[in-house]
Amino acid sequence: MKKTKLTMMTIIAGAASLGLLAACGGDDNGNGGNEGSGDGEQITLDIFQGKVEFRDQFLEMAAQYEEENPNVQIEFGAVGGGSDYFTSLRSRFSSGDEPDVFSLAGPSELADYQDYAEDVTDLEATDTALEGTLDGITVDDTVYGIPFNQEGYGFIYNKQVFEEAGINPDEILSYEDLEEAVQTLDSQKEELGIEGVFALPGSEAWVMGNHLANVYLAPEFNNDVMEAYESDTVEFERGDEMQRMLDLQNEYSIQPVLNMDYSQQVEQYFSLGDAAMIQQGDWIHPTLEQMDPEFAEENVGILPIPLEGEEGKLPVGVPNYWVINSNADDEVIEAAKDFFDWMYASEEGIEVVQEQLNFIPAHENFDPESINSPLSRDIYEYSLEENTIGWVFLGYPTAWGDDFGAHVQEYLGGERDWEDVLEEGTQEWESSR
Amino acid sequence: MRNKDLTFWLFLAPVILALGAVVVIPLLAGFFYSFTDWNGLTFNNFLGLEHYLRLLDDGRFLSSLWFTIQFSVVTVVLLNVFGLGLALLVTQKLKSSNLLRTVFFMPNLIGGLILGFIWQFIFIGVFSDLGELLGIAGLDGWLTTGTTGFWGLVILTTWQLAGYIMIIYIAYLQSIPEELLEAAKVDGASPFQRFRNVTFPLVAPAFTISMFLTLSTSFKIYDQNLALTDGGPFNSTEMVAMNIVYTAFSSNEMAYGQAKAIIFFVFVAIIAVSQVYYNKKKEVEM
Repeated sequence: MKKTKLTMMTIIAGAASLGLLAACGGDDNGNGGNEGSGDGEQITLDIFQGKVEFRDQFLEMAAQYEEENPNVQIEFGAVGGGSDYFTSLRSRFSSGDEPDVFSLAGPSELADYQDYAEDVTDLEATDTALEGTLDGITVDDTVYGIPFNQEGYGFIYNKQVFEEAGINPDEILSYEDLEEAVQTLDSQKEELGIEGVFALPGSEAWVMGNHLANVYLAPEFNNDVMEAYESDTVEFERGDEMQRMLDLQNEYSIQPVLNMDYSQQVEQYFSLGDAAMIQQGDWIHPTLEQMDPEFAEENVGILPIPLEGEEGKLPVGVPNYWVINSNADDEVIEAAKDFFDWMYASEEGIEVVQEQLNFIPAHENFDPESINSPLSRDIYEYSLEENTIGWVFLGYPTAWGDDFGAHVQEYLGGERDWEDVLEEGTQEWESSR
Repeated sequence: MRNKDLTFWLFLAPVILALGAVVVIPLLAGFFYSFTDWNGLTFNNFLGLEHYLRLLDDGRFLSSLWFTIQFSVVTVVLLNVFGLGLALLVTQKLKSSNLLRTVFFMPNLIGGLILGFIWQFIFIGVFSDLGELLGIAGLDGWLTTGTTGFWGLVILTTWQLAGYIMIIYIAYLQSIPEELLEAAKVDGASPFQRFRNVTFPLVAPAFTISMFLTLSTSFKIYDQNLALTDGGPFNSTEMVAMNIVYTAFSSNEMAYGQAKAIIFFVFVAIIAVSQVYYNKKKEVEM
């Protein structure tokens, strides 16, 4: 009796460890299945990207494509915003479970993955891409990615408040115009029912380090992200102008700024009408729409951040690129290319993208009128008229923007003076290049 | 005792495999990678001690280490004081003691991230409204300076973990034989003397455990830090764990982050082990 019990236990324990081993090995099988069966009857396209907010729309779009191309099956994986995505992408590559298509943000991310990136120079989807949108993903005239979409930012303002204060936003071009408008708004705070003119989210280093700084650094790098990426130093030629703008935002912002975050800025202050304008981009539209659809549709406009000599221009750039994994099987690569040509350069594809996604397109042939969000519509117009400032911050040294943003926080907190902030910024740039 | 036969190893196999796969192998691999220029995908060069030498000059890492040490000292003291205090409170013959135990333990069941966001709202929203109402300027602008960020984290952590430490103390307090306290009482010891000379030495093993737990947890805190301050303002409340994550995943210096992690591991191990050793020596056997 005792013997059988022991044997039983041995078997169970053995089975348990085997099970564990099998679980460890399971990944390989899954991966093998992904590559397709080889004879071209069914191709699985494994796409991995960092915009969770668009996941449902992408799935819908993929379903439509699968209907027309029954031999292609598309799997959309998505991981939530920013650094999380990049970490998962890295672990997928180092574990050997490489996606067939993935998204990258710009030259510094491309540098890590260039060995894995397929040349897409000859695709229709890169051919019809708008002027300048390919700069960040081109190395030695070879294009390695297809722009997702465009994004733009500036001062997003509350139209009703501006109207009541008697301010015409179209007339705000220079810094002086803006300052005057801000003072007008500030003097009528009570009547307008606002708590402050601005809401400056001091706890978000990227708002200052990436976005605000970008406006004043772009002229230095000729609006070219690659020039920023290749530069050994940063001079801050427009440092004084940046300080002036930061001070203006800080002085007339709802206080305290240093613990204000993005959601307070957008949801609590702007969408409820407590702040007259905020420095943000078109990506706030879905949030505004959730809070109050009518407000998001009727009441929101965008102003450029004034820059001397470049008045009336909006910083517009490509936040993400699709990159095809050159390690994938040939037919998978072909399928991926066909898919992107369909998505960005065919009539049905464009129609679907326009319907599904509130994108600001990075490609020609899109109809501005059909874009849902008024902010995106405005920004697409700026981009078609080429009234844009480049997004050089994607060419900053890795994490430099966050570090610089932290120094700007020190300035706002009175721990450092402006000269010091700039000096520190230059030093950190140089040491990481 | 026959314990080294096939069955023994077979039963151990799942645990050893699991532990090996997720703890031992990554630890060794990480140790190795910290000497190379590994970027998360490949490595090309063997750099020797370069990363470790660079650490000594990394002001941001050192200041996060110093912040973590300060934070740990304060939270370890507060956690044990509050843990023991609460335990003493709920072991009194109170009608509500069961309810109180549940209530005090509750914060521990909420995840650190959620607590972080809840307290962020309290510090920023509620505190400033209260400050305005009561006219206390000190309640305004919490989390906008390093100091308020520090105390915010201390309050959050203490609030979350005190209930857990309380449970450990309760277990030891309840195991103290009633007759010892009674004998002391008969001998004319005051309540304070009874606590100081009878109860306190007998809960010393609980100190060892609680100190170890609080020390190692407060050193390794990440999610509370992330949710409450995210290192801000200007990285003044960035703890070591966050600094490591930042180095590895935002600056993309995987090997350098790995070197920091190794140093951090050694540091925490030394402190924790020596603390256990020291406390063990002071315990009394019953």
